[in-house]
Amino acid sequence: MKKAILRAIELAFVLAWIFPLAWLLITSLQRESDVVSAAFRFLPSSPTLVNYAKALGSTEILGWLLNSLLVSGTAMALTLLVDAPIAYALARIDFPGSKALFWAVMAGMMVPFQVLIIPLYQQFNAYGLVDTLAGAVLPRLALPIGIFILKQFYEGLPAVLEEAAFMDGASRLRVFRSVILPLGKAAMTTVVILSFINAWNDFLWPLIVINDSARYTITVGIANFEGTHGTEYALIMSGAAIASIPQFVFYFFFRKNIIAGIAMSGIKG
Amino acid sequence: MAIPGQKNARDGLLFSLPFIGVYGLFMVFPLCFGLFISFFDWDILSSRRFVGLGNYAKLLADPTFYSSLWHTVQFVIMTTPPLMAAGFAMALLVTSASPLKNVAENVFFLPYILSMTVVGTLWAWLMQKDFGFFNQLARLLGGKGLGWLVDPKLAMWSVVLATLWWTAGFNMVLYSAGIKQIPAEVYESAAMDGAGYFQRLFKITIPLLRPTTALCLVLQIIASFNVFGQVYVMTGGGPYGTTRVLTQYVYETGFKYFKMGYSAAMSYVLFLIVLVASVLQYAALDKDAA
Repeated sequence: MKKAILRAIELAFVLAWIFPLAWLLITSLQRESDVVSAAFRFLPSSPTLVNYAKALGSTEILGWLLNSLLVSGTAMALTLLVDAPIAYALARIDFPGSKALFWAVMAGMMVPFQVLIIPLYQQFNAYGLVDTLAGAVLPRLALPIGIFILKQFYEGLPAVLEEAAFMDGASRLRVFRSVILPLGKAAMTTVVILSFINAWNDFLWPLIVINDSARYTITVGIANFEGTHGTEYALIMSGAAIASIPQFVFYFFFRKNIIAGIAMSGIKG
Repeated sequence: MAIPGQKNARDGLLFSLPFIGVYGLFMVFPLCFGLFISFFDWDILSSRRFVGLGNYAKLLADPTFYSSLWHTVQFVIMTTPPLMAAGFAMALLVTSASPLKNVAENVFFLPYILSMTVVGTLWAWLMQKDFGFFNQLARLLGGKGLGWLVDPKLAMWSVVLATLWWTAGFNMVLYSAGIKQIPAEVYESAAMDGAGYFQRLFKITIPLLRPTTALCLVLQIIASFNVFGQVYVMTGGGPYGTTRVLTQYVYETGFKYFKMGYSAAMSYVLFLIVLVASVLQYAALDKDAA
């Protein structure tokens, strides 16, 4: 009996949490006139995909998705290029200033991004990067938490692996490329995913640096959707659903890495 | 590790170079440049004019600055306890033997991967006063709808609720990782001594999770201090500015009214507050750990 009550509470908790997403889907499948009708119903009387067709056909949403994929994809690839070498250096090379460098990396995590928006905008304006996708992605290239994760992983690798390669006369770069990098695939996957999610969910910076609606990322686009489509709730919800498809796909494939990454880093995006 | 034929100083620097470049260009330089800007009367139309600490003096006398700062603090205070409690409750469920635990883990975590503008638009719709789900349901049950986003007394709570739904799953992940590290034997021997579920919860789980709780708290407070997107999408700072948070004021001052110097000065004050808060918390944590 006690167990049954507990299960019922658990089930209610889970249902309450999934409900908003269900409602997003339900709204998106209704006709606009049904959504704003006084007769309230839980399920659409005649489900329709007309909102999705409209969102895809007569708005810029596909372009925004593409922009976000470009921005996040670039951030993802370049983050590794920036983070992996320094993480390796900090973990395995004893060089002067390495401690100070590590603390500089960690200190970077404490800086709230808001402090950078004014000077970065001025900088990017001078470089001609305002209103470009490159401008949206550049401040996202280094992910300090990624360095932290990779460094921890590299520190855990047995030293004999490197030593054997050095004995054979391999250079540092060679060892890094053919011994260290292949071993660190799991940790790198985690970093890549965190970087992707960070860049994808970035809102304040793309909002500032991009003005032309054709170059919006999806987060900015969806925020503006509400302004331009006011009370077309079904259309807005179908837009929100379309905007979230890449994240669902991503989650489906990388669930374990995402959760492991958060548990490992404990850093909020 | 000294390796024959390897130049550590050179290699260390070379490997760090890409990061140092990016970091210098997009973090260190703007950080200094922003401080510089904050000493100027700087807009896009007229040429800049050095005003020393003028912008800082101005913000200390600006009621909107204080109210925005207060709203941010309010948001931190209102989100932190429920987010930690919800994350902890979720973690208990997903680490229990419940048949629902796998489903629950996915369901609780899913909102976190959505972008905040999707979350904001979705909740703004749920809370819409005429046709939103909450008010429709309330009327169906014979009650009256609430002005979720238009009632000054309620608006911030509504944003808090949406944020709770969005990010509680993150705290769940941290707490579950902590719970999984508690050795099963501790529970077994406690059960053998006749400790009930709640006794085990309060005497074992919660005390042993102190480090996790501390970490969660620090991260939560920092994250909540940076609040912007949800507010921007859901209320735009309204009604009557009752949900305008500091980041939004910084953004509007800089990019709507183009008072760059003033905006930069405000962002530095925000930075200072976050810094002091984090240092205090880390100091408290250190003492805790010792």
